[in-house]
Amino acid sequence: MNRAMTLAVAFVATFALILGGAAGIGYLTADGAETPPELENDHYLDEDLVHDGTPGEADVEMSSTAPPQTILIDPGAAADGGVAADPLALLGLGADGAADRDVRPLVNALIENGHEVRIHTPEPGAQPPGDDEPTALGADLAEADAFVTFRTEYADAEVEDIETFAENDGHVLLASDGDAEFDQPGAAALDAALGVTTEPGYVYNMEDHDLNYQRVYAEPDAESPVTDGVDRVVFQSATPVGTNFANAELRPSDGSQLSTTRASTEKPLLIHTGSVVMAGDSDFMSPENAQRVDNDVLIGNLADFLVENDRNAAQQPPESSGDEAPPGEPVPPEEFPEEEPPQG
Amino acid sequence: MPANDYLDALSMRQQVAIVVVVATVVAAVFVPVVYGTTSDPSDTVAVVEVEGTVNAALADDVEAELSEARNNDSVGAVVLKLDTSGGQPVASERMYKSVQRTSAEMPVIASVQDISASGGYYAMAPADEIYVLPTSTVGSIGLNAPAPASSPPVEGPSGPDKTGSNEIEQWAQQQTLADTFVDAMMEERGDEFEMPREEVAHADVYLGTEAVHNGFADEIGSLDEAVHEAADRAGMRNYEVDTRETGMDGDLPILIQTDDELVAVYSNDPGYAEVEPMPFAYVYEGAVPHIDTIERFAADDIESAAGDGDTAGSGAVNGDETDGTNETDEIEDRTDETDGETREDGETNDAPSLSGEVSP
Repeated sequence: MNRAMTLAVAFVATFALILGGAAGIGYLTADGAETPPELENDHYLDEDLVHDGTPGEADVEMSSTAPPQTILIDPGAAADGGVAADPLALLGLGADGAADRDVRPLVNALIENGHEVRIHTPEPGAQPPGDDEPTALGADLAEADAFVTFRTEYADAEVEDIETFAENDGHVLLASDGDAEFDQPGAAALDAALGVTTEPGYVYNMEDHDLNYQRVYAEPDAESPVTDGVDRVVFQSATPVGTNFANAELRPSDGSQLSTTRASTEKPLLIHTGSVVMAGDSDFMSPENAQRVDNDVLIGNLADFLVENDRNAAQQPPESSGDEAPPGEPVPPEEFPEEEPPQG
Repeated sequence: MPANDYLDALSMRQQVAIVVVVATVVAAVFVPVVYGTTSDPSDTVAVVEVEGTVNAALADDVEAELSEARNNDSVGAVVLKLDTSGGQPVASERMYKSVQRTSAEMPVIASVQDISASGGYYAMAPADEIYVLPTSTVGSIGLNAPAPASSPPVEGPSGPDKTGSNEIEQWAQQQTLADTFVDAMMEERGDEFEMPREEVAHADVYLGTEAVHNGFADEIGSLDEAVHEAADRAGMRNYEVDTRETGMDGDLPILIQTDDELVAVYSNDPGYAEVEPMPFAYVYEGAVPHIDTIERFAADDIESAAGDGDTAGSGAVNGDETDGTNETDEIEDRTDETDGETREDGETNDAPSLSGEVSP
């Protein structure tokens, strides 16, 4: 091999070695040769992510030994297939009322303890009574010792009947919720008659709740017959309730907020003022909710409240006589004492 | 000859050494070209559209496009062009995972147009940065679902949960679905959110101007600027933009709220098989019309059609009933123009401004 050939081979070999190396490195470092990275999504595997859907159990018990009482329930729905009694509901504006099953835990407890339960269901298409005619509700209340209602909108004459009933030792359990504030025009009249208040909006809690931010826990404000044995209860889409008497029974747990203000709230969700108990929720007595925490205990206590009254239906009229004590100041029953009137 | 004299003066080993040095210098000139050719340097930013209702069809396309981008050596970065108020949870999760994988391999920038909320936000969260316009809408991290309700017993199914679960079990499932979403967002952007998890779970939406301050977005910028950022992160000095359309043609499916649930409608004249209930959804409901609203406009449309023949209705749909005819003409004119561009360039309406060689 002559000198020129040797030098040419050296040049080509060097040139090829360098470019071949560059090509090889380029190939090895090409994107397609990279191994796809392993993705770790531990947040999907967190054991706390899966919520416990165990329904729970309910045992509604009454402690009262009161003689048989008659409890009238107005579920806010007519008898013919659950059409709401509120005429506005026919236009899609009214609340749905409470179905039979929604009050079954309370009703069953009353029946099992020997009390009579009647359901007030207005006749479909019934015309409102004249000024001097008794209302159908008034006639039913005249035979009752206690009244449970899920309605908030009544005719003026019916509101007077309820007010008279409460003034004459009848115990009233009023269950309302935030929906009524949006679609029922007359709730304030009943509130004024019974001396209670509600607020627009609902209470929610983003951290301490029962499976949904609107299913808030409420805790006793102080020891009382209504909250005896209750540690916490669940209210769903509950609206704050109030009264001019300082006797809140259940307040939302820490961290609860009001939807209309987005601010913390401690306003009560259930109050007791003499002859009236008002709850800012109409769902807490349903079979499913009765099984959550201490809702069953509360329902039992409310059943006791209804039957522990001093009303004598045969002697005390539902009509207003004009000289009775105002609602909230009934004759104190043995286990549900009269609330103190407001000072000043 | 002087050259021969020099060579003669050198030994053979010295001559070879000189040739090797010269060969090395010459080869060095070609090394970048050869290396670049074999390593196939990326010079394309893929713009993947995520528009309309988030459903299986959209997730199929987005997954396919992102997979192609990852396996195409010429694609060095991806920009997600988002305009969606969300949709199905599973479809949202599929896109989330696909974007997450892509983001692990190359720069991914999300560019929000009008809205990227709920399931749309879920999908884009793993992007390296979220670009918004000042009036874009982002957020709505949460679940849409009706309150569970007990139903009368149904005779015949093989088990009690076959035709509907227990009310409490449904509440638990819905809360798990909601937390799955929130937890994923906290994992992806928990360091950026200027608020605790509890407030994120409020599922609020934010305008772009607010989102860049509370961590729901990173930058105020247009699609062009997002593309530039993606290219810059990938180290591209010169790059091309390749826009990838996804999902169904037109604006279908559309979401509609009813009193009880959300439904996805897959046709302007839907049959039974083209209406899909969505019991659970990751959707910003503020962007979803109620069926009553649609029926009100559809009634006007029908009346116009009865009076004006088959050309009526466009004005009503665009919310302009008084001078609908003229407005419709203008819209049609503009549509013709853009159609012309589309045919010419083979791109979508937005594509021309992004196509071709772009230098930073």
